[in-house]
Amino acid sequence: MAGDDPRNGGSSHGHSNHRHVAKKPKLSQSISESEIRAEFSHHAEGVARINNGSFGSCPASVQSAHRDWQLRFLRQPDEFYFNILKDGILRSRTLIKALINADDVEEVSLVDNATTAAAIVLQQVSRGFAESRFKPGDTVVMLHCAFQAVKKSIQAYVTPAGGSVIEVELPFPVSSKEEIIDAFKLGLDRGKRDGRTVRLAIIDHITSMPSVLLPVKDLVRVCREEGVERVFVDAAHAIGSVNVDVKEIGADFYVSNLHKWFFCPPSVAFLYCRKVDFSNDMHHPVVSHEYGNGLPIESAWIGTRDYSSQLVVPSAVEFVERFEGGVEGIMRWNHEEVVKMGKMLVESWGTNLGSPQEMCASMIMVGLPSRLLISSTEDASKLRSYIREHHGVEVPIHYQAPKEEGEGPRDKDGGRITGYARISHQVYNTAEDYYKFRDAVTELVEKNFTCRLIL
Amino acid sequence: MASPDGNHRHPETNGEAKPPAPKKQKLSTSITDSEIQSEFSHHDASVARINNGSFGSCPQSIISAQQRWQLRFLRQPDSFYFNDLKAGILESREFIRSLINADDVSEVSIVDNATTAAAVVLQQIAWGFTEGRFQKGDVAVMLHYAYGAVKKSMEAYVTRAGGRVVEVQLPFPVSSKEEIITEFRRALERGKENGQRIRLAVIDHVTSMPSVVIPVKELVKICREEDVDQVFVDAAHGIGCVDVDVKEIGADFYTSNLHKWFFSPPSVAFLYCRRSAKLSDLHHPVVSHEYGNGLAIESAWIGTRDYSAQLVVPSVLEFVNRFEGGIEGIKKRNHEQVVRMGEMLAKSWGTQLGCPPDMCSSMVMIGLPWCLGITSERDTLKLRVHLRDRFAVEVPIYYRAPKEGEVDPVTGYARISHQVYNKVEDYERFRDAINKLVGDKFTCASLSA
Repeated sequence: MAGDDPRNGGSSHGHSNHRHVAKKPKLSQSISESEIRAEFSHHAEGVARINNGSFGSCPASVQSAHRDWQLRFLRQPDEFYFNILKDGILRSRTLIKALINADDVEEVSLVDNATTAAAIVLQQVSRGFAESRFKPGDTVVMLHCAFQAVKKSIQAYVTPAGGSVIEVELPFPVSSKEEIIDAFKLGLDRGKRDGRTVRLAIIDHITSMPSVLLPVKDLVRVCREEGVERVFVDAAHAIGSVNVDVKEIGADFYVSNLHKWFFCPPSVAFLYCRKVDFSNDMHHPVVSHEYGNGLPIESAWIGTRDYSSQLVVPSAVEFVERFEGGVEGIMRWNHEEVVKMGKMLVESWGTNLGSPQEMCASMIMVGLPSRLLISSTEDASKLRSYIREHHGVEVPIHYQAPKEEGEGPRDKDGGRITGYARISHQVYNTAEDYYKFRDAVTELVEKNFTCRLIL
Repeated sequence: MASPDGNHRHPETNGEAKPPAPKKQKLSTSITDSEIQSEFSHHDASVARINNGSFGSCPQSIISAQQRWQLRFLRQPDSFYFNDLKAGILESREFIRSLINADDVSEVSIVDNATTAAAVVLQQIAWGFTEGRFQKGDVAVMLHYAYGAVKKSMEAYVTRAGGRVVEVQLPFPVSSKEEIITEFRRALERGKENGQRIRLAVIDHVTSMPSVVIPVKELVKICREEDVDQVFVDAAHGIGCVDVDVKEIGADFYTSNLHKWFFSPPSVAFLYCRRSAKLSDLHHPVVSHEYGNGLAIESAWIGTRDYSAQLVVPSVLEFVNRFEGGIEGIKKRNHEQVVRMGEMLAKSWGTQLGCPPDMCSSMVMIGLPWCLGITSERDTLKLRVHLRDRFAVEVPIYYRAPKEGEVDPVTGYARISHQVYNKVEDYERFRDAINKLVGDKFTCASLSA
């Protein structure tokens, strides 16, 4: 499964970004276009849904398998609990282990989402401070653009326990992975100032807003070189959008949501914890009678709940394999299309992309015309709602504050580009979705619409 | 609205002589027997399912309502998140607030289950130790019969942070609530032995195994008298099973699962937190961008997940109100029937109930014949599996260690539940199964490991 994806970083051989993968013969049973449409026919009509990144999507056949699991529990829950549940969870974990090239299924736990994984990792750090294994002031390093839940988790678990936090600002727009690596090194240096130990570095594999595919392998290597004790990769978007080889990436902890790009229903994620000789002291925050039996077992029972999204992973794998090239084929298709559509949009609007195409996966940041006058996060949010309500396009918008006077990308009108739309491409998208977005923005500009006009 | 004695309160008229309280008419729309069977037709019909207590049950119309919510999200998740989710959760919380007689909806948070609620409450106790507000060795008290997850939570959050855990030894079988009250007082004394503070008391409203209704109101009062900092009532089995009036009960925290006895799909529970200065210290352990906005708001968004079980609460109320007397009527009938069935079984087997009828709810413990040779917890599990596999009876069994000198001790108790879908035949099958085992001179020793 795992091929080396140069976009994940590591030594560059200067080869093309299109890996040579033996073309899987077109099976007569490959899913057809109309089958794909049917699988996603529950999506709201009239909405150009170009935001798979936020909440993902789930095809009808996986939903049906999901409902089957739910009904199995309801039919005879005791029997389900005693005879079926554990094996089902183990089966899902085993499939994921193969997908991500982990050594041992013991390294793979299923949790609700990346947010939950962050709580698990950061609670462990918190205990390190509380139990004096860490010195007060020892650091946790994170990216400035880390997902808000991760930032808040640090506020909840690290700071009150005595840890200090360093935010590393990454450049955006960005033109090369070297810019990222250099900025990260600077951030780490700050973390180690005054003899402090960096206890944990949290690195996104694909940042959320603004979205960039980071050279995570290089960043993990830098962490090791700089003596960072542990590395946690928040890869919420990764599985199903880039190749994930946890051994290659080399982090201590790695989490990804399967409901974003891997067609699972909400919600299921895996948290990979590299096997260590000592007890890794990782615990699910919701403590059940399984406490102490290892994180995978703890996470597999956190009280009576609906575990069917975790149990349905095999059906998602089946779905993915109906596509030509399986998940690799899907990832390649999504990437090519989102880049193509991104280029189409920036050409049409006279703006620019937020990153080069090798620094994106199935999402890309597309500059919005300066004339829209996006001058704050609120503006971006209001514009998003406006476009949803008046133009039937679902797309998140990022406000990028201009750095210094005169600096920063400008569009064809010479104005500063301060807003970027994050477009996604998933198998259900068609070119029309992006034309609709193109035309909506063009219309707004022609009408002299600005964010100031939105109440 | 729940009142302690379970009766409906009737509004008084002004001035004139009150007419006799109107007899609630049997509505033509009251759910019928066959409608009930249909609502639970997805249950495995071959099983005598007399264990509603463990995993609860959910009627078909609620399953359908839940699926509609799930589809709404999948249809357009962004719009759902921005426009529908918060209002839906708030509506559910308001329904619950009214059900449990809480003062303010800000006191009501929705979480997955009582296990999660325990993590919320115990985590703030852990911080108390970590931040030096509590002294090492300060105490948390819990019942010996506390649920396994709660015991482990105490280990993870209290003991590990430096607290001392004291267990209340409860008798079982038990014959009066006074026995429980006495033991509770003893435990509090043990807790305060070394001049330490009791930071938290965790009290079950209805214990799980063995199942007994605990006199929580009295115990909370004693906690206040004895200067216990905080009281947390774990009422996993509470709502839909016993009367829940959080103001009457007077605890600081009260949690109950709605998927056990309140017909909700797995899983949804509420955590009530009495308004006080401490409310701001409570946090959901899974931290999202809502951190700091209050527990109720934090719990309403803990990352992308399926919140449909939480959103379906209003539909559940509708379902419950199709029954004569609503939830009060259901509770009353479940209780009466489970006691009747328990007494039927005890009579047939020549055993006893584990507690008097007024100390049980919709569940009751019945002694199993001593000749079955239940000598350990392992035996109870093996017997339970045997009953499931051979007789298609689903019922949990509790092992009670014999006291010294007991002759022919009753060491096994079955916990039978009654919910609206149960029939007398379910319990008769259980009765006959045990009688058959006894007649065959069966013992647990004969079951393979």
